[in-house]
Amino acid sequence: MKDLVHTLYTLLAPWLALSLLLTGRNPRPSIRRILLSASLGLLILLIPLGKFPICRWIAMLEPNPSITLTALLAIALIARGGGRRFFRPQDWRAAWIAGSIAALILFPMGLGLTSLDPYAWGWGPGLPVATTALAVMFLLGGNRFGIVLLLCLIGMLFPPMESQNSWDAVIDPFYAFFSLIITALLVFRTPLNFVAPASPSGRGDG
Amino acid sequence: MFRPLTWILLVVACIMIALLLWDGKPAAGGFFVPPSKPSIETEKTFYKEEIINPSQHLPMVHVASLVDCGDGILTACWYGGSAECAPDVQIYSAMRGAPQAAWSQSYSVMTREQAQRDLMRPVKSLGNVVLLYGPHNTLRLLFVTIAMGKWSGSQLNLCTLFKPDGLHSPAKRLTISPFFNFSELVRNRPVETVDGGWCVPVYQEFLGKFPELLWFREVRGKIAYQKTRIAGGCTSFQPSLIPLDTNHAIALMRDFTDMRRIFLSRTDDGGLSWTKPMPTDLPNPDAGISGLRLSDGNLLVAYNDSTIDRSNLSLALSHDGGLSWKRIAVLEKEPNASFSYPFLLKTADGLIQMAYTYKGQQIKMASFNESWIREQELVAGKGSTP
Repeated sequence: MKDLVHTLYTLLAPWLALSLLLTGRNPRPSIRRILLSASLGLLILLIPLGKFPICRWIAMLEPNPSITLTALLAIALIARGGGRRFFRPQDWRAAWIAGSIAALILFPMGLGLTSLDPYAWGWGPGLPVATTALAVMFLLGGNRFGIVLLLCLIGMLFPPMESQNSWDAVIDPFYAFFSLIITALLVFRTPLNFVAPASPSGRGDG
Repeated sequence: MFRPLTWILLVVACIMIALLLWDGKPAAGGFFVPPSKPSIETEKTFYKEEIINPSQHLPMVHVASLVDCGDGILTACWYGGSAECAPDVQIYSAMRGAPQAAWSQSYSVMTREQAQRDLMRPVKSLGNVVLLYGPHNTLRLLFVTIAMGKWSGSQLNLCTLFKPDGLHSPAKRLTISPFFNFSELVRNRPVETVDGGWCVPVYQEFLGKFPELLWFREVRGKIAYQKTRIAGGCTSFQPSLIPLDTNHAIALMRDFTDMRRIFLSRTDDGGLSWTKPMPTDLPNPDAGISGLRLSDGNLLVAYNDSTIDRSNLSLALSHDGGLSWKRIAVLEKEPNASFSYPFLLKTADGLIQMAYTYKGQQIKMASFNESWIREQELVAGKGSTP
């Protein structure tokens, strides 16, 4: 059962990402287009390549897509489909900045830069506590990225990934990569409107 | 509308954090040092050499490991195929039922196809392996699979080879590195811990090459694991762990610098923190080493006594916990040949078993007792007298 949950979960993030890509750059795609993209995305992921479908080749590389990445992809896809725009620009900014900070803490030292290994914190209570504290901070500040962090906490408790480490619920190399790139763009004040353009009033409509 | 929801979410967060804190995770730290069978000073010296896999004719076999399964049963494992990281590499095993008995025919215990079926994803090749025995007479295989590239694209997996109830469990991937779970390897002897688990020396060779420890424990019938680090950077790796008592241990490590020395690190808190690895006076040609503690407290290390190649395999002894070392025996020596990756194990009968890669094509085993070591030390002492 756990293997099935894990297999289905690893399919989710690539499917959402592919569906987003196939939807194209049209800012208001029709529901039909979205459904078509999602179906096509799923079909592509299930195409056999050798003994395995493409989705399992992706799972070979990344068997633990983070819950954060999966949630952000789902939020972006729902927003593109003209559904509820759950994340406002400030929520997206919080997601990218938090991802960048987590990436800078985790990856250089986790890959051996120092004798301190922050990845080991993910096996103890320290990281869940820190994630909760961060989620509380965001929620009290009215930032909806806190809800995504709460989803990560659920993922730490009932992991759909094969990893037992809490870090893998929070961050993965893809989320880290995009966070660092987008945060760098934010720092250099490049307009960030390709994921979730601000509503004319400047306020979220969720 | 958002404010009440915020408070509900905060309460949910508190409940989840309480559940997470309550959930049993393995706590690292504390080595189990079994009471060793005292060596008898007047015991007759014993030394025996044999090839474990004489009928196996593969272009390459490498990285042998041993485990004492009790009642005199010794199990060995290694990998072999056409070349390192080749798709045809399999993990082989052989068993010896009693100290004087012959080794069984070698047999395959894991193939690339089996690993692919168990892990439900593509696997390029198989690699290093160690065996874990117990609790409940369970024999587990901790082995490397290579997803892509060479060793830097490797991951660790655990499966059950033997259980008394006959139910074998398929291999499971262990996630122990944050970056695509690259690149964790195993090589040296696991050590039992005070909580009934194991501490397995592992290492990473991706951006850096550094030593780590992987801690296993059964929690409610399932294997839980976590990892701690001995050192970071890119100086030493492939640790060989030698527990001195519950809290104290040393790790001897393969060199990856131009110093060409065996590195040593110490812990005084059961493996949670380690001193900075320092070079010893023993040479190392960027090759695997193995060490263990003898019943008199002295430390024994098997290593290539060279800074250049693996054309000899030697033993050295330390009387002062690794501060200084004395060469006592040369087990193999042949120009242009390779004798590598020794694996030392002290079995319950007091014998020291050493498996190693013999000329890249066979797994050789040397068995000896502590009287033989004392004799070698005496001979070496006489030899060095002016």
